[in-house]
Formats: sequence, C-alpha cells, structure tokens
Amino acid sequence: MRLQTRKVLDRAFAGSGIMAIALMVLALVILLAPMFVRGAGAIFFTGTVEHRRIMLEKFERGDRAAVEAEDRAARTAREPVYRDLAAFEKSLAEGDAATRRKYGKPLHDLKKAIHTLLGPAPDEVRPMLMRDQYGQARWDRAQVKLAQVLYREDWDYSDPTRAGIKRLKPRAADFVGTPIEGLFSYVERNLDKMLLPRRTVYWQFLTDDSYDSHFFGGIWPELLGTFYLTVGALLFAVPMGLIAAIYLTEYAPDNRWTRLLRTCISTLAGVPSIVFGLFGLAFFINTIHVSESKSVLAGSMTLALMVLPTVIRAAEEAIRAVPATFKEAALSLGAGRWHAVRSVILPAALPGILTGIVISMGRAAGETAPIIFTAAVSVGKPLALWQTLTQATPALSWNIFNLATEHEAVDEIRHVQYGMVLVLVSLVLILNLAAIVLRARIARRMRA
Amino acid sequence: MEASGATTGVTRRDAPSLLLSHRARRRQRIAETLGRGLLLAVTSFSTLAVLFIFVYIARDAIPYFRQEGFREFFTSTRWYPSAKQPEFGALAMFVGSGLVTLGAILVAVPLGVSAAICLSDVLPFSVRQVVKPVIEILAAIPSVAYGFFALVVFAPLLQERGGPILAVAAGAVGVPVAGLAVIVAADLLTDRLPDRARRRARALALAVLGTGACVVLVLAVRSLYGLVIPSGTNALNVSIILGIMALPTVVSVSEDALQAVGRDLREGSYALGATRAETLVRTVLPAASSGILAAVILGVMRAVGETMVVWMASGNASQIPRPWYNILQPVRTLTATIAGDMGEADQVTGSARFHVLFAMALALLLFSFLCNTSSEWIIRRARKKVGG
Repeated sequence: MRLQTRKVLDRAFAGSGIMAIALMVLALVILLAPMFVRGAGAIFFTGTVEHRRIMLEKFERGDRAAVEAEDRAARTAREPVYRDLAAFEKSLAEGDAATRRKYGKPLHDLKKAIHTLLGPAPDEVRPMLMRDQYGQARWDRAQVKLAQVLYREDWDYSDPTRAGIKRLKPRAADFVGTPIEGLFSYVERNLDKMLLPRRTVYWQFLTDDSYDSHFFGGIWPELLGTFYLTVGALLFAVPMGLIAAIYLTEYAPDNRWTRLLRTCISTLAGVPSIVFGLFGLAFFINTIHVSESKSVLAGSMTLALMVLPTVIRAAEEAIRAVPATFKEAALSLGAGRWHAVRSVILPAALPGILTGIVISMGRAAGETAPIIFTAAVSVGKPLALWQTLTQATPALSWNIFNLATEHEAVDEIRHVQYGMVLVLVSLVLILNLAAIVLRARIARRMRA
Repeated sequence: MEASGATTGVTRRDAPSLLLSHRARRRQRIAETLGRGLLLAVTSFSTLAVLFIFVYIARDAIPYFRQEGFREFFTSTRWYPSAKQPEFGALAMFVGSGLVTLGAILVAVPLGVSAAICLSDVLPFSVRQVVKPVIEILAAIPSVAYGFFALVVFAPLLQERGGPILAVAAGAVGVPVAGLAVIVAADLLTDRLPDRARRRARALALAVLGTGACVVLVLAVRSLYGLVIPSGTNALNVSIILGIMALPTVVSVSEDALQAVGRDLREGSYALGATRAETLVRTVLPAASSGILAAVILGVMRAVGETMVVWMASGNASQIPRPWYNILQPVRTLTATIAGDMGEADQVTGSARFHVLFAMALALLLFSFLCNTSSEWIIRRARKKVGG
C-alpha cells in the first residue's frame, strides 16, 4: 500500500473512534432531552381554571374568592354554548322523528366532546369519576380536546387494498342550518375565556397524592415507595456488603473457600434482574413468608441482594486503596487487627465506600424487574413506615412502566409519565454525579 | 512472663495490646477468633445467596419439566399457556432473546470497541475525563427510562419515518466505509504493476470501483428510504436501545483490556514503522483480544438479561420472524415473558403455567452463569499471559 493510503486509513481509524464517542454523547443527549423538556411540563405548564378549581377543592390551595370569581367568569363565557345546545335540543324534541334521528348521534357525540373539554354542563348530575367532574386542567390538552369538538374523525375505506385513511371532518358541516351552527366558531374564538389559561408552576406534583388513577394530582406515593425500597435495600445490603468486603480484604486466607466466595459474588453480579424478582417471590414470599404477599420488605430484600455485589466490590476496592502504611502504623502502635480496621482503615476508605453506596442506591432506585413480583402495585396510597413491613407500594420505576403501557388512557396522562421519568432520572443522575464528585475528591487527596 | 509475652506481641502482626495479663490476652484472642468467625459467617451467608437463587429457581422449575417434559419447551413455538389444552413452546422466546441480543451486539461492539480504542490510545487525558462521566451516566440511567424512551419516543419515530432514518444512517456509515474500501482496493490491485503504468491504472481502478460503490450505495439507500415499518415496537428498536445500554460495559471492559497491553508492544510496533492504526489493529487488538471477548460476553449478558426495554418495546409477539433475521418484526423474549405472564400465573401457584416461567428463569440463570464463568476465565488467562 502507498504511504498516503496508509495515512488516510490511520486518520479514518482515529476518526471512527471519535465518531463512536460522539455518537455515544449524542445518544445520551437524544435520550435525556425529551425526558427533561417534556418532564418539566408536568410541573411548569399553562393551567386552566379547572386546574385551579381542582387545587382548591381537593387540596384547599389558592385563594377561594379569586378562584370562585374566575369560575363565575368562565361559566358566563360558557353560557352561550349550553344555551344554544338547549335551544337545539328543544327544537329537536318538538320537531319530527326523522330530524331527531338525523341529529341524534352527531349531537350526542358533540355533547360528549364538549363535556370532555369543559366539564359537566351546569344542569348535569355530578358524574362519578373525577376525570368527568372537571374539564381540561391543562391548556395543551385543552387544545387537543378543542380539535375534537371542532372536527370528527372519519375513516376512508374507499381503497380496499389499503388500511383506512383517517380524515378530519368539521362537525359544523353536520349542523348547517341549526341553532348550534354558530357554536363551533364561538367555542374556537372564546376558548381562552372559557378556560382562562395561565402560567402555572405546580411543584406540588412531587408531594401530592394522585387522584383518579393519575389523571390529577402528583406522584408522592410513587416517590415515597421508591424511597422506602431504596433505603430498605441499603439497610440490608450495606452492613452485609461492608462486612464481606472487610473479611475478604483483611481476613480471608487464600484458599478454595475464599475463591468459591469470590466466584459466588461475581455470579451474583451477573444474575438477570428478572431472575432476582422470581427468586424474591419464590424465597422471601413463598418460602420464608417475610410477608403475606408483596411488600416493601420483600422488595427491599430482593433489591439488596441485587446491589450486594456492587457494594462489596466498591468497598473492597476502597479498602485496598488505603495505603498499607496506614495499617502498619496502627499495628505498630499496638492496635489489634480489628481495632486497626475500625479506627484506621474504615475511616480512610469511607469516601470510596460511600461512592459505592451512592451508586448502588441509584441502581436500587431505578430497577424495576426485581420489584414487579415482590413489592410493586399500580395504585396505592402513600405508606406509613410501619406499613412497609406488610404492604406493597407504588414505585416510580414500576409506575412509569404501568402508566405507559397498561393505563386505560395512556395518551391523556403523558405529562405524568414524563414527569415520573424526569424525577427518577434526575434522582439517579444526582446520585451518580455525587459519586463522580466524591471520586474526584478522593483522587485529589490521593495525589496530594 | 509478661515481658516475654509483650516482646513476642510486638513482633507479631496482629498483636493484642501490650502489657496485658495472661487471661486478658486469652480473652482477646478468643474474641478475635469469634469475630473472625462471625465475619466469615456473614460473608458466606451473603455470597452464598447465589446458590440459594439457583436452588430456589430450580426447585420451582423442575415441576414443569416433570409434568410436561423437555421436548415441547425447547422445540415448539406454540405458546398458549392459558388454553384448555395448554401449550408451552418457548422456542420463539429463545429465538427472540437471541435475535435482539445479536442486534444489540452488532450495535454495541463496533461502537464500543472503537470508542475504547479512541479513549485509551487517541484522545488526550483531559477529553477522557469528560467522556468517562458520559459513559457512567449511560450505564446509570434506569432501564425503565430506556424502555419509556423506546416505546414513547423511538417507536413512533421508527413507524412514521423509519425508512428515511435508516437510509440516512446507512448513508452516513456507508459512504466513508465505501470510500475507504475503494481506495484500499485500488491500491492493492495496482500494487504489483510497474511504476509507470501504476498511476494510470490506479486512477482507472478508482473510477471504476468508485462508480460501482456509488451505484450500490444509491440503490441501497433508495430501497431503505422506501421501507415501510408497520410497527415501531419491533426487534430493531429494541436492538438499538439494548445496544446503547450495553455500550458502557463494552467500552469500559475493553478499555481496561487495551490499557493492560503494555507500552513496549506499542512502541515496538511504532519502531517498525507502523502507523497508529496499524499498531492498534495488528498488535494491540490481537494482544487484547481475550479481554475484548470478555467485554463482548458481558455485553451479551446485559442484553439477554434486560427486561423492561424488551417488555415495553419489542412488540411481545410470540413468533419467530420470517425470515429469522427480519428485525423489523415484533418479537418476544424470555425476560419479557416471565415479567408479563407472571401476573396471570400468580394466582395458581403450582400449575404448569407458573412453573414454566421458572423454567425460563433457570435457562436465563444458567446462560448468565456460563457467560460469567467463561468471561472470568478468559480475563484470568489473559492476565496471566500479559503478566508472564
């Protein structure tokens, strides 16, 4: 090969490596950007008067007089809509059967769409479900619902070889020549007067209970559940991991038993997370009955087992990184081995051990598969501390899955899903950044 | 007596405190032995948990094989666990797990190894300090967040603009690769020619090969562009996401392997006139090959054992794609089946439907044990070789 070609190849080689790293960074950005941007939308959004009513009626937040005044203003703006509808219904009731049949279904659909947008009509009986008791609380959702008031979906099956094509047809065309012909343009023009959108910061998203399977309210039960599970896991994993690390670094003779223990640890690190879940079910719940069925306790134990190898390895590494002179100095002063470990080695290794613990914490908080069968439920109240021994809890990781796949109205509560993802990811990121900072400080101290 | 005890105590490594009575020293020694025993007991207990896992998963898996035998589980693709005559053919799940893992490895290994090479041999230290946290964060993001991204962001994107995205990706990879291949091929073809003819022959070869490559590329990109992906939740989606998830493992383990190859090998190669690329490809990579193999195995483990992403975004269709490599079709994996079916099987603990999931878990467990053991063995052997 010519020298020039070799040079080109050399450059391309380095370039491909840099491209790979750039792609990795890009993947991280693409991954995190939607989570942060749309996740923030759970807290910072344009709320309508309905949101403020919910806050007042369910959480007793906000100025009662002001909200009630707003509500009155909104009702006044909505009045023509209901008046037109009532007039049209009256004329239908008096008219002939053919007309009634012609307008029956379109009118029913229209009223349903308006109900979804604005909430129940003034003369309506209070519905059962909370999502039917209020109109759209978020302005972005209200825009979507407005489109559903103005247009109806129509499927075009004229070409039998292809799947039906969705077309949007204006509902106004269905009602030409009726009293509600003007209703559509009125709603379109005056939606802001009917819903009174305003910039809202709903930071209580983090600390509010959820209502009506996450249609309203916040994610406190999930947050608390994740906290319990994580702390519980560490309560089990840290003492055991620390003791194991001390034994393996300071006491263990180099024999077959020690090697077996080491193999066990690395095997444990490689067990798929879902298998931990099954084991937790088969052992903690079905065999030794730590609780009747799923509970935070059983979930914590399962998670503890999962993060145990991480804790052991980090602690071992940290203890090994303590210079031998420290220990020798302690021993030469007459300290026993255990005394040396306790008073010299552990304090010196503490930052490293903490790093490992913080990373394990992030892992325990984010893991889903081990808690599916051992601790997680989809809907639940926040637990008191003593209830964690016997009861299952919602948790961020599980509920992200649950709301994104199994919820009855996945599209309606995207903001809650994104909000949960944002909270979980930021939690894990903060923990990991803490670990990175800790590690940098250790490195600096070691160099000094 | 006490004096002599004290002097021996000073010389011994684990000396009890000086100047103690005989009895106090004995008490201390007993305490030390007991403490040591306690440490050993706790350590053994926590580490032997893995044996417990094997025992308890196997204990619940065996009833399935006893009831239904081995044959159907491994050879049939018919998965109707809740039918009146239940069928438990898990072959499609095995194939699904294998397919997404293969896809993930195809994404993670080229990217990961070239990133590792770049980190260990090309980039300066300061850049490395910035890239390391990125890798750590990629590894730390919870799998359910990856799954959410795959399901909510990536799947609709693939479904609506899958063709153009694939076409752009293929172009971005294909153009440089084809360009290099053409240059190298033209060089190799004309190497033997006499000096005078060579330059002209080279230009000719470049033109011919270049045109050919262009035509092939354009055709490939065009056919990709017109591709219609019926559903965004498919094996391709999951493969890409799993590949990104496996990247950190592959990068860090193979970087360790590359760093373990000493400077002397590299310098020897440079001294013989090799460029950096030639040194890395012909000298460093072969020397680090076992470590990189271990990295690949660990990446495979990560992809096989992953649950949430595949459960959310693989489509969960219990079928073998036709043809088997068609990654645009939905698949179903072992992990997703365990996670998804346990909810319904839970109430009837003891039925074949419950135990078959443990049989799958046992298969996963054995596979990860095999992978783990072999990667450890490979790393240990490599260390011995480099050390010796």
